[in-house]
Amino acid sequence: MTLILMITISLTVAAGVLLLLSRDLFRTLVGLAVLGSAVNLTVFLAGRPGSLTPPLIPPGLDRLPAGAADPLPQALVLTAIVIGFALLCFALVLGAWISQRAGHTEVDRLRLSEPPAKDPLKPTILKE
Amino acid sequence: MQHADPHDHDAATAYLWVMIFPLAAFVLLAWGLVQHPLPWHWELPWVPGLGIDLAFRIDAFSAQMLALITGIGTLVFVYASGYLAHEPKAGRLLGVLLLFMLAMIGAVSADNLILLFLFWELTSLASFLLVGFKHEDAQARASARQALLITMGGGLALLGGLILLAQMSGAWTLSGVIAAGPRLAEDPRLPLALTLVLLGAFTKSAQFPFHFWLPNAMAAPTPVSAYLHSATLVKLGIYLMARLDPAFNQVLFWEAVLIGTGTLTAVWAAVLALRERDLKRILARTTVAALGTLTLLIGLPTPGAGLALVTFLFAHALYKAPLFMVAGNIDHATGTRSIDHLMGLRRAMPWTAAIAILAGLSMAGLPLSFGFVAKDAVNLAKADADLFLLVGYASVLVNALVVAVAGVAAIRVFWGPPEAPRGPVREVHWTLILPPLVIVLLGIEFEFLPALADPLLIGAAQAISPALGSGDLDLNASFELGDLVSATGITLAMGLLFFLAWDRLHQALHRLHWLDRYGPAAGYEHLLHGLTRIAAWQTRHLQPGILSASLRLTLSGLLTLGALAWLALAPPPELTWDWGPQGWAWVLAAVLILVGAAAAVLLRDRLALLMASGLVGYGSAVLFLFSGAPDLAFTQFAVETVLVVIAASVLPRFGPPLPRAIRDPAIRYSPKSSSSADLVSGAGSNSSRYRPGLTPFSLLLAAAAGLGSFLLMTQLSPLPVSTELSDWFAAASLPEARGHNVVNVIIVDFRALDTLGEIAVVAFSLLAALPLLAGLRGRARP
Repeated sequence: MTLILMITISLTVAAGVLLLLSRDLFRTLVGLAVLGSAVNLTVFLAGRPGSLTPPLIPPGLDRLPAGAADPLPQALVLTAIVIGFALLCFALVLGAWISQRAGHTEVDRLRLSEPPAKDPLKPTILKE
Repeated sequence: MQHADPHDHDAATAYLWVMIFPLAAFVLLAWGLVQHPLPWHWELPWVPGLGIDLAFRIDAFSAQMLALITGIGTLVFVYASGYLAHEPKAGRLLGVLLLFMLAMIGAVSADNLILLFLFWELTSLASFLLVGFKHEDAQARASARQALLITMGGGLALLGGLILLAQMSGAWTLSGVIAAGPRLAEDPRLPLALTLVLLGAFTKSAQFPFHFWLPNAMAAPTPVSAYLHSATLVKLGIYLMARLDPAFNQVLFWEAVLIGTGTLTAVWAAVLALRERDLKRILARTTVAALGTLTLLIGLPTPGAGLALVTFLFAHALYKAPLFMVAGNIDHATGTRSIDHLMGLRRAMPWTAAIAILAGLSMAGLPLSFGFVAKDAVNLAKADADLFLLVGYASVLVNALVVAVAGVAAIRVFWGPPEAPRGPVREVHWTLILPPLVIVLLGIEFEFLPALADPLLIGAAQAISPALGSGDLDLNASFELGDLVSATGITLAMGLLFFLAWDRLHQALHRLHWLDRYGPAAGYEHLLHGLTRIAAWQTRHLQPGILSASLRLTLSGLLTLGALAWLALAPPPELTWDWGPQGWAWVLAAVLILVGAAAAVLLRDRLALLMASGLVGYGSAVLFLFSGAPDLAFTQFAVETVLVVIAASVLPRFGPPLPRAIRDPAIRYSPKSSSSADLVSGAGSNSSRYRPGLTPFSLLLAAAAGLGSFLLMTQLSPLPVSTELSDWFAAASLPEARGHNVVNVIIVDFRALDTLGEIAVVAFSLLAALPLLAGLRGRARP
């Protein structure tokens, strides 16, 4: 059954990369979100999901019963989801600020911090 | 400049106490030589697993080097305290000089190969700091960098050579390699190992074509030039080659390279000395010539060459260091080192003149000096070996030129016609006179009382030429040999001619300055410049400052690596459609995710795009929900919802989406400035129509990325999973943390510190977003 998951994840990765390579800043950020979801799923898949029983210790027992899902990959993916969320929120605000300041959203024309080189050898020094 | 105010004496002796360190080392060495027979061993395990021990071995040759390092070191520190009297950073210079001395002591006593390399590089580093001491001066900086790059580059080769030698001989010590020497002759790796070792030694000892760093290193203050660049540092390469010579002197390659390079270096440097006008640079050129002669001597197969080597090494240090100090004194007193402006200084500086004459005598190899003994020994060694005629003529030429330089340094500067007065020139402080005087007097003493030096020199010669019997060890044996005296006479006569014709020869050579464009020094400059150009080119292309280009590069690189890894890995197992307990729930999740992903790629409207990406997240949540992970599902639902809300709230600031096709020429880039021709790709450069994100290359990359992740997962699936940690969490959750929800217990209890870090990340992203949000609030988009 993991085969269907693998195919789904692969197609999602492809979609994410395609969005990431887009010319539009907003699409790039959405690509980041889609790619992030795909990566989280990959980590989850690496933990070999199989059981439908949540990793909860039923009352009366003092340890997790044998059939329950593996808690460790869940804990890791949970952390990843939250971190990815924080990153995306910041990226969205930054993107909005940049496009407002530049007046457009075309990523390849956003060269505020790395302007085109003028000297054949030396890097261009930013003047604020 | 020297000023005779009363504070001078205090200033000149303020740092005199530093000489205690080299003096103590010297006394210790002398005491040890008297008390304990050589060789001394000392060993301490350091990194035994790698064959690196603090192994030291001091035999007579090392002891001779140590005597030079500490003895001349003591006097150099006295000299330096006077020379740097008005230098605010004198403390730093003396500190680095001390560091250098320690490194040098370590380098000539180390037996372990890696230890030797470490000390070797430390001397290069100290040399860099000392040459670049006047770092406000761009010339000094360039010279320091040159010395560093050349000697450290050679050091790198040396490391490779030493490791090869260690692997071939099975010993990580110099003594072990030497003992294994004859056995190594058949090893096919020997030429490579010797080439690498010689690269290290040649760069260090300024052999052709690496000789040019030494004259440039004269940017260093004079005490440094006298100590590092004549007496000690540059002899380190000679030391190593002489050390290894017993093992390889039967190898034709070794002999041929040493004799050839030594001769070429000596001639080249001696002739180029004629081109210099700066007294220190003239002396530096003759130092290179002397180093060439020493290399040649190592290459000679006769046992007498060992004796000649140690004698000449000793004599050279005893006359060259004082001559550098003389040059420093002149610089100190007159403010110039150009021989064009230096004439008739003998009345103003009688002591310095006397020292110059005595050292010049030794340099020219005239009787009454230790240089005479050394020259005899060298001539004897050369006469014994059947050299090519060319090498013999070359040495006569070199010797004659050295005589001429001795004349320039000792006679021309002090005895020439007194030039126009230029202000008062007076003799320098005693701290600048005593050290060179002591060194030259030592040289003369050794001539008259050879018993003082002979035991050390003969022991040293035997250490590097085991074949040397005790019969041919009388240093002064050659007095009777008339033909050698006549050879000296020829040399002297030629030297006199060169001396008299100095200015004319200088003019003639100056006319050949266009040849510089093809010299090794120019090659170094080209290399350095080329390196900068390549670095700039590479930075422009790898880090163009264009997001899509950077992404494409990163992805292409990553996928190439993945493809290579795929080729190396075993084929994955057959995959089957096993229908697990999740059944249709996973199919539903997969459909949700895929619909969302496809819509995100195809839709243009931003709000719709956002919703589509939200669908991907919701699909993941469904998947989590039906995989026994309700916590994940709820988190994903919450996060996805909040994210869409946040994105929608900043959405207006992004303005309208880009049109599908653009006709604005301003958006097209010239390949030069953007360095990525396919930026305007898609429909090609003759038309500006293209679909954003759907260029063929992007599609290809996306497909490759998808395929790559699929292959990665297929490789992953058959791998065994360790449940050790999970089992532990499953068992410990309730008894130790009193929690029924194991996932929650892991997050807030067992991995609480990680979670704290995670919270910090969220908090920081909020903090970083706040000022941006304030900026967004201020101005609405027009």
